[in-house]
Amino acid sequence: MLAVIQNIFSFVILVLIQVLALNNIQFLGFINPYIYILFILSLPVKFPRWLSLILAFILGLTIDTFSNTIGMHTFATVLIAFFRNGIIKLFTSIEEGSNPVPSFYSFGVGAYIKYVVFMVLLHHSSLFFLEAFSFQNFWMTILRILLSSFVTVLLILGIRSFNRK
Amino acid sequence: MRNLINFLIQYSVLMLFLLLEIISFALVVNNREYQKSVFFTSGNVFVSNMYEVSNSVVEFFKLRTANENLSEENTGLKNEIILLKNELSTLRPEKEDSVHFQIPPEMEYKFISAKVINNSTNKLQNYITLNKGLRDGIRVDMGVVSDEGVVGIVKVVSTKFSVVIPVLNDKIKINCKFKKNNYSGPLQWNGADYRYANLNDIARHVEFSLGDSLITSGFTSTFPEGIPVGTIENFKIRESDAYYNIKVKLAVNFRTLSHVKVIDYKNYKEQKTVEKIAEQ
Repeated sequence: MLAVIQNIFSFVILVLIQVLALNNIQFLGFINPYIYILFILSLPVKFPRWLSLILAFILGLTIDTFSNTIGMHTFATVLIAFFRNGIIKLFTSIEEGSNPVPSFYSFGVGAYIKYVVFMVLLHHSSLFFLEAFSFQNFWMTILRILLSSFVTVLLILGIRSFNRK
Repeated sequence: MRNLINFLIQYSVLMLFLLLEIISFALVVNNREYQKSVFFTSGNVFVSNMYEVSNSVVEFFKLRTANENLSEENTGLKNEIILLKNELSTLRPEKEDSVHFQIPPEMEYKFISAKVINNSTNKLQNYITLNKGLRDGIRVDMGVVSDEGVVGIVKVVSTKFSVVIPVLNDKIKINCKFKKNNYSGPLQWNGADYRYANLNDIARHVEFSLGDSLITSGFTSTFPEGIPVGTIENFKIRESDAYYNIKVKLAVNFRTLSHVKVIDYKNYKEQKTVEKIAEQ
């Protein structure tokens, strides 16, 4: 029960930070970090996949509603929610029966960073290509993906390094 | 049938994933063309209300810039008022001109108001800087007056600024005369007190008394006749002297000078050319 309330709280906080602060950054014209996916990244490892998909859908739709990008964030967020378990399995060896929340502590620093980088890149790639909706400015889109991912990863790792455990 | 159900259960997550992705992709594609649903955009009441609250917070931090902009706009408007007033004052006499046949002498002059932005009174050669220049119609040799009386003569003009040699500078002499009997002489500052200057070249036989007022003579194209210069404070004459040594209390308080008017003599060019021809 406590975990549910905590999760709802972090959902609301992350959405507010994203739409009220980060969406207004537009650093250098196109760097726009999206840290709201930290909510998906921080779901427990054994969290029911169907539920995480639904939550990702709601989260993406909320962000979309606020930023008038209907469908884009939804698509990208559902995508990372689906591939999350596979990526976790790729980088870590979680013991059977345990159900940790992904963090530096539970994954190990290197594995957690890889996990975050991979998830962020996946999310940003789908998001920015969906936003461009073409491969015309391919390298420009790639540049945007890399720069924004870099900032997002830094922010997420920064936030996570504060709450150890 | 059982197999189908088994299949669905086995791949339920994948199915859900595909369903959600198809929905969101459809949303993207549908909304690329035109904004269809208001609900899932910032047009929806909840979202717009929230943005309003957030804006009111952000606005608070933008107050400083807003203030600056407002004050800039204010000064701009004030300048425009001055400009329009100037224009009005120059237009009015012309209208009267067309009604009356004669051009009254005082209408040959136009005033350009300016603000003193730099001023000194404590040196031997003081200068005053004004915030108007070439683009406002100021040129070299124009006279500068304040509401009280004569201030000086424009010496240097740039596009936006001009430098005035005031009476308080031993480099200039301003020709002035007694209001009551028209005897004239040059007024020169001695570099001592910003309130007083000396009037020279007044011959022994001229009759005047303390407190008599001095006005500009109108002999130069710089100042029209009749602008107050000062009053006689004190005078001395020795037996051997041919001229009086007169101490004049200046009409203008140079210490508190802030707004002045530059005199634009409309017939300046014509007068100069005529005088040049005569000298040749």
